Amino acid sequence: MKSKDARPLVVGLVCVSLIGAAFRVTPASVKLLPQDQTPPASRANEDFKFGKVDLELLEQVNLLDGRFEREGLVLDDEATNSYLRRIGEVLVSREMKPENVTWRFRALRDPQPNAFALPNGSIYVTTGLMSLVDNESQLAAVLAHEMTHVMRRHSYLENRSNRKKFLTMNVIAAVGAYSPGGAVGAVITIATTIAPFIVIATMFGYSRELEREADLKGIDMMIHAEYAPEEMVNVMSLLNKDIEGENLRLFYNDHPSLDERIKYLSHYLGARADKVTSQMELNRERAAYFQTMQPVMRHDIQLAINTGRFRSAVYLAQRLVDFHSDSENVFWLAESYRNLGPRPAQLTNQELTNSAKKDAAKKRERRTIEEEDRELLGTPAGQENSRLHLQQAEELYVRALSLENPVPVAHRGLGMLYERLDRATDAVTEYQKYMELAPASIDHERIQKRIEILRRSSP
Amino acid sequence: MTSVFGNITKPGLRPINPAILLLLIVAICASTARAQYLHPKVTKRETIIRNVIILPARIEVVRDSMKGPEGMAAESETLSARVEEAVSSVLADKHGIKRLPTQAPSSTDGGSQEKYNTADFQTRFDQLLPKIIKRRGDVKKGRFSMGDEVLNLNLDKSADAIIFIRGHGQKLTSGKQAFSVLVSGEKAFLKMQIGIVDAHSGEVLLYTDPILVGDPTTAVARLRSALEKGFKKLPPAS
Repeated sequence: MKSKDARPLVVGLVCVSLIGAAFRVTPASVKLLPQDQTPPASRANEDFKFGKVDLELLEQVNLLDGRFEREGLVLDDEATNSYLRRIGEVLVSREMKPENVTWRFRALRDPQPNAFALPNGSIYVTTGLMSLVDNESQLAAVLAHEMTHVMRRHSYLENRSNRKKFLTMNVIAAVGAYSPGGAVGAVITIATTIAPFIVIATMFGYSRELEREADLKGIDMMIHAEYAPEEMVNVMSLLNKDIEGENLRLFYNDHPSLDERIKYLSHYLGARADKVTSQMELNRERAAYFQTMQPVMRHDIQLAINTGRFRSAVYLAQRLVDFHSDSENVFWLAESYRNLGPRPAQLTNQELTNSAKKDAAKKRERRTIEEEDRELLGTPAGQENSRLHLQQAEELYVRALSLENPVPVAHRGLGMLYERLDRATDAVTEYQKYMELAPASIDHERIQKRIEILRRSSP
Repeated sequence: MTSVFGNITKPGLRPINPAILLLLIVAICASTARAQYLHPKVTKRETIIRNVIILPARIEVVRDSMKGPEGMAAESETLSARVEEAVSSVLADKHGIKRLPTQAPSSTDGGSQEKYNTADFQTRFDQLLPKIIKRRGDVKKGRFSMGDEVLNLNLDKSADAIIFIRGHGQKLTSGKQAFSVLVSGEKAFLKMQIGIVDAHSGEVLLYTDPILVGDPTTAVARLRSALEKGFKKLPPAS
């Protein structure tokens, strides 16, 4: 065979072997567990040896920590961060000090329920997640999951694996670029077009395995630290609530679906549930948790309102009021309802279908919150929702002002509500009361300007 | 021998490799700027921008290698500061606009609150940015506003506008550069998105998205040139 004739065959073979290689890049250190098999006890990945690439990654993430703090993303509240630290220290045994890991536990100012771990031992839990969970055991479940990622060196393994796969993709692209013409050329072109997708699919599949390992080992850590392990399942159920209708099912997803996680966690726990906490004990734990977390929850409701997550704000504020209906908590519920305006408080089953959520996500990308308000107010349902929610908000503001130690901001809320209802005189009165009661407030200038505009516009 | 442009070769002349041609084009048009969109208040001179506050820029660059993108956290921070400085210098030199100092948060609880306010306002801009990018032309209709919460930032009273800077870019390793010449045609670049927001009403007064082609970590002169083009339509302060 002439060398020119052999070229398509060689190119084809290279493509096939590269695709095959891409499927076999899962590191040997990650053992895939059958559903009912018990994973080894929680410990650091002892076989792990740091290479140049890993140390470079470590350097990058160390810089990230400082940046989160400087940019005001970390909650500057020592009490909350110490609370997280205490739970983390209970979960991790004293002798467990993996190389290049310094445990740090911090709350991140973000209303979206989430948590993540950096490979240097920094664990971040969002205020959104801390406000959503019911008790300390559920928070411990989240921390245990994230700490497993650190101890088992998942970030480093994933980084190494991704680098191999990227290289494979690039080589496939290079080979594809020099494919011959004709039918063989067409086959090779298709193979090189599809291959990167296959490689990407294996990348995300690998991630899913790590997530599963973190879930199962997290349960072990909880049992060891005497936290209620079944709360790991409950925290997944809470995350499955999807109050905002934003959990989209994607083809490529780095976490297993929440339903899938609940299933395998329940299965795993079922075989080892030697500790099941009584409801009474969980209720006590919930009360203590809410007492500690009240300031974080209020802060998170403000963040949720700022970012247009009004349904979450109503849900969280209602939980706070149910726990303790003081003036401040009632005020936050009023704020949430006022901002919810023409939107329904809960999404219907129809709105929670995947296609409806995709449509809603597209609309969110296009419209501003004010435009969404105006659009909804143009419909009878939106007008009715707005009327009901503003009425509810007014009642709650008035209630907040009638309770012991009333918060002055309730006057500001009433002012904004009346301004929206075109009751300019009432709005000015409420704004003035607010400014008298809180002369050093940060929004003094803003409210003063609103008063001036209202006075100019009213007859 | 044929090239992608057809049978253009003559005996004794070698064809121009398309990749080399691309590199030549890139070198000639080293920096480009896309259109700028101004609020009618600015074009009609109802709002004159004299003093601005530049909020910390958020620019992310990665080193793209054959083994995928690698983070450049330290370089990103340095570049963010450099872009802030370059914006300030271009506005001062070409438009007579003065940069006012951003108030540093104090160490008290009030300091935390100020830090949070700034962070939340940056997040607010990040939420608005995709909407602006989707319909850039709507800035000319005065569609976009960040609301009167802007007054909660308690900035210097003489500030007329606040500048938000975002950007992302990549630098190529030598291996990736060679690969790019042979196969992908990828380039080193820096894409910026800059918004100027009224410090009193929160309205978006200007949006521009200059692009710099070349290594973003070293191309200082090209950065300035891209920014000059990006702010070309902004009327002078006087």
